[in-house]
Amino acid sequence: MVDQLSPLEPVLHSGRHGHVANGVGVTLSETRPGSIVQLAAWPGKEKALIKSVKQLAGIALPDGAGGGIATEAASAFGIAPGRFLVIGEEEGLAAAFAAAVARDTGTVTDLSHGRTAIRIAGPKADWVLSKIFAIDFALPAFPLGSGVSTVHHDIFAQIQRTGAERFDTYVFRSFARSFWHALCRASEEVGYEVR
Amino acid sequence: MSPRRTASGGLIDRSRSIRFSFDGDFYTGHPGDTLASALLAQGVTLFGRSFKYHRPRGVLTAGVDEPNALVTVLRGDAREPNIPATMLEIYDGLTVVSQNRFPSLAFDVGAVNQLGGKILGAGFYYKTFMGPVFGPLKGTRFWMFCEHFIRRAAGLGRAGKVADPSRYERMNAFCDVLVVGSGPAGLMAAKQAASSGARVVLADLEPRLGGSANWSGESIDGTAAAEWAAATVAELKARPNVRLLPRTTVWGYYDDNTLSALERVTDHKRTARKGEPRQRHWTIRAGRVVLATGAFERPMVFPGNDRPGVMLAASAARYATEFGVLPGGKIAVFANNDGAYRSALALREAGTSIVAIVDVRAEVSTAARELATKAKAEILAGQAVVATEGGKTLSGIKVQTFDAATGVVRGDARSIDVDFLAVSGGWSPIIHLASQAGARAVWDEKAQAFMLPPATERWTGAGACAGEFSTGEALAGGAAAGSWAAGGASATDPVPEAGGAVLDIAPAPVFEIPAGGKAFVDFQHDVTADDVRLAHREGFISVEHLKRYTTLGMATDQGKTSNIPGLAIMANALGKQIPEVGTTRFRPPFAPVSVGSLAAERYGDIRPERLTPMHDWHVDNGATMYSAGLWHRPMIYARPGETVDQAYVREARTTREKAGIVDVSTLGKIAVQGPDAGDFLDRVYTNMFSTLPVGKARYGLMLREDGFAMDDGTTWRLAEDDFLMTTTTANAGKVMQHLEYLLDVVWPELRVHLTSVTDQWAGAAIGGPRAREILAACVTGTAVDNETLPFMGIVHGEIAGAPVVICRLSFSGEMAFEVYSGAGHGTHVWQALMKAGKPFGLVPYGLEALGTMRIEKGHVTGAEIDGRTTARDLHLDWILSKKKPFVGSMMMDREGMTSSDRLQLVGIIALDNRPLNGGAHIVERLDRETPRDSIGHITAACYSPVLRKHIALALVRGGKSRHGDRAYVSDPLRDRFGAVEIVSHHFYDPEGKRLHG
Repeated sequence: MVDQLSPLEPVLHSGRHGHVANGVGVTLSETRPGSIVQLAAWPGKEKALIKSVKQLAGIALPDGAGGGIATEAASAFGIAPGRFLVIGEEEGLAAAFAAAVARDTGTVTDLSHGRTAIRIAGPKADWVLSKIFAIDFALPAFPLGSGVSTVHHDIFAQIQRTGAERFDTYVFRSFARSFWHALCRASEEVGYEVR
Repeated sequence: MSPRRTASGGLIDRSRSIRFSFDGDFYTGHPGDTLASALLAQGVTLFGRSFKYHRPRGVLTAGVDEPNALVTVLRGDAREPNIPATMLEIYDGLTVVSQNRFPSLAFDVGAVNQLGGKILGAGFYYKTFMGPVFGPLKGTRFWMFCEHFIRRAAGLGRAGKVADPSRYERMNAFCDVLVVGSGPAGLMAAKQAASSGARVVLADLEPRLGGSANWSGESIDGTAAAEWAAATVAELKARPNVRLLPRTTVWGYYDDNTLSALERVTDHKRTARKGEPRQRHWTIRAGRVVLATGAFERPMVFPGNDRPGVMLAASAARYATEFGVLPGGKIAVFANNDGAYRSALALREAGTSIVAIVDVRAEVSTAARELATKAKAEILAGQAVVATEGGKTLSGIKVQTFDAATGVVRGDARSIDVDFLAVSGGWSPIIHLASQAGARAVWDEKAQAFMLPPATERWTGAGACAGEFSTGEALAGGAAAGSWAAGGASATDPVPEAGGAVLDIAPAPVFEIPAGGKAFVDFQHDVTADDVRLAHREGFISVEHLKRYTTLGMATDQGKTSNIPGLAIMANALGKQIPEVGTTRFRPPFAPVSVGSLAAERYGDIRPERLTPMHDWHVDNGATMYSAGLWHRPMIYARPGETVDQAYVREARTTREKAGIVDVSTLGKIAVQGPDAGDFLDRVYTNMFSTLPVGKARYGLMLREDGFAMDDGTTWRLAEDDFLMTTTTANAGKVMQHLEYLLDVVWPELRVHLTSVTDQWAGAAIGGPRAREILAACVTGTAVDNETLPFMGIVHGEIAGAPVVICRLSFSGEMAFEVYSGAGHGTHVWQALMKAGKPFGLVPYGLEALGTMRIEKGHVTGAEIDGRTTARDLHLDWILSKKKPFVGSMMMDREGMTSSDRLQLVGIIALDNRPLNGGAHIVERLDRETPRDSIGHITAACYSPVLRKHIALALVRGGKSRHGDRAYVSDPLRDRFGAVEIVSHHFYDPEGKRLHG
């Protein structure tokens, strides 16, 4: 199988950057999951779709927009009413869902190539993201596992909290490099490490 | 030892010295000093020259309301004018120059303007430079002659001309409670709200939190107020649910409790740390807001009130107490209220002598008299200051008997020898944010001030801002406000006791001492009391007109010290009460905001770049890129020595003769999925899609609801319920919104999902006589012959191990295929195609060649689908289904849409063999002198390598009926005139033979 070429390849410079004298505020990395799949249920069929997610990705999603769960192997969260983003380490998740999700339940859209996954982790992750997004990143307002759909500067983004100090961001592939530059610049103040 | 620094006391750090320069001279100060306090401590009294009359000016205030001591800060090549010296923290290496003076601050030739007082009064510009022209010295011509000199003489500093190298950032904050102002009321409110668990943001524009507690000299909770404030701040700082924002001016109050604030992050530092912004703009979304913004002391308006050495009384006390600076040695106080007596005592206790307290009131309260006695000051009751003496510093004042009831001065003037005058004309609560939030301020007769309006958003006031002028009231008010803001939890801690005299601060209603001579209302804009009266006499009786005619309150300080006195003088001239005259509504910003902080991270990066999967390949292989919307696309792949024209002609010719490949990843791609997807497409496209077999594609046209053409593209049926719609690059977002609207609002019953998959796919269009051979050489898993892959057919296969979807369709007019792969495989597949194509002469081509081939073929794009053309105008009526309704079908047959004289698509050939231009008009009769009678215009033009002619597409009245006609191109803007022939828009292979191989 041919490996995917990352749009960040030429700009992803490993190592520490910015003001790191007081330590690293955030760690930035591209997670490169094998599968990014959008699932969308017809009205009233959300529970059936959530059941498919449980069966295929092993994740018991809560009902409702924004709810989600993150594990090491896979994660999923609601991105809009009846719509979910499911991310898996392995390739081929979209095909598996397409075979499993009935016509009357909803639709499956493979976005594995179309979105770039960037992880922002560390004690200053919420501070850095708050520079970019008008979203409340405090833990009570943005609980573990949950997600949001938002936008910055024409760049559409879906963000999931995958740890107390960790956020996974999914942006359109064509915008990924611009977003990466913005993210690195916003991180300079707190010191960042690219992994 | 600094001449005016006290031996001890104040909140400055005397253990360290800071060296800075002002107008080229070096001075020292201490950490904690502002530029104003440091210079005052050195005995400097002259800070600047006034705007219009170039009068010497000193320091009037100790805060953000400063109208006089405005300076320009230099940092490298960057210069920032109009910074109040009262707000500027000193740091080692700070370099500051004064403004509006030539050649020097002490000797300024512009001071001659003081002699022209009457001429330069209100309305100077209107009277001098507008109106009918008599001779050479009036009107616009005169203005153009004078402008250079006036702009040089007047003004508020000079802006820099180099790009600002500073970094700015934006920040979003969310909180339950925002407290604005950190005086006793604000601290109490924050403490109360925080103790109930609420997320609290406390912002204050000063570097040192604590507000008046830092200089009041009072006690709170049995300890010095400043110590109480420091302890409370430390307690708040330790709480995880509190964010303290010193040096942060909350400047705007917008809908739904969204507030804007500017944090000066490194303005007080010599150098910023790596990545640290100079300023940070905060957008704060608060559940509830406590406005604890305090009050501004007002000056009195009397002749000579702008002389250096005249300062607001509380500001003088603040310099003495907080900064350890004695603003004068022999001081007089001039007041209309009791509050000034407290300032007098503070000045006395710091080590000055109070020569006299001049009070316009005949009767002075016992509490005030006691303070005067302690200050060892003589009270001159029922008197007023009528003049000041001295030059660049104060040497004395003149005092006369004054009747506060009638406002009349009488008797003989008496001179008093002083070097400093502390003035207090009462207090104005700082209600700007509440006013911005939407309500009209309420006049309070007793306080002689506009008070907070009723709350229109979820805010409350506390402290002096809410009319709670004593510290005890402020503490109680703050606690109550904090409790309310946190959701009504009752106060947990007892409100601390405040020590110090409780005074009735209500002033006598005296704003001006009318005694002849220039008495300034707006110091920064040099507006005098006489200017206000002149405006009244000339008919400007509305406060809004007064403001604009005199420019009162319109300088960078926005009239913080001048609005109320100006209004009072106007009311007096009108014979009305102040509330009858009204007040202007405050607008954001409360204090100046740098444009850099609003642009923040977008500075130099107006929009993000959108890159295709093969972007780096294009750049590495010599493509000249240009932007198409947000996208970056190859224009040409020039070979060494080639011009743009040579490159695209070669690319287009090679494609037609052999094969060419172009990156089409930018085309909008929308996944249209669901059981009703076919039905949905039937409704949005003019032609039928539900009948399209799986594995086939079809060209489609969309109309707007009003019947005009909207967008076109091919849609592929990948599976029964799965269509892949392509749109033009430019319209992708618009089409998506249009479709989402239809699904959400018009046909919610349809089971269709839309997803933007533009970025999921990399697209390469490969066309030309050898294209099929190239595919055959590299595609595995499927045949690509005519039977397997007919025109508009779709096959699935692999190229170099990567899965691809291939659709046979053409934009160039040649046999062509669009090869789609996962975006992450895009470069891999592209390179494999290039490699396979090498023996066949395959070339990559850019947008110029793409545009040329589409013009030759007569295909329309956004240039023709311009929102004014119908399907019939573009000869796309063959695609208008009569079997079904679709969006736009009801409106497309309106009379005007079907009229025979509409502009319709035609081809144009230049008969003079010269280039044509988009936008040029087509005319029947050529008239170079007075171009007229346009019958249409060119939409796109190129040199056609196939025809070896300059050709164009055009929209021309009558369209097809003019084929074969002679006409002219008329382009006066570019001086291009010449004969053309109108022909069919199908220049090349009209039968489509090449398309089908």
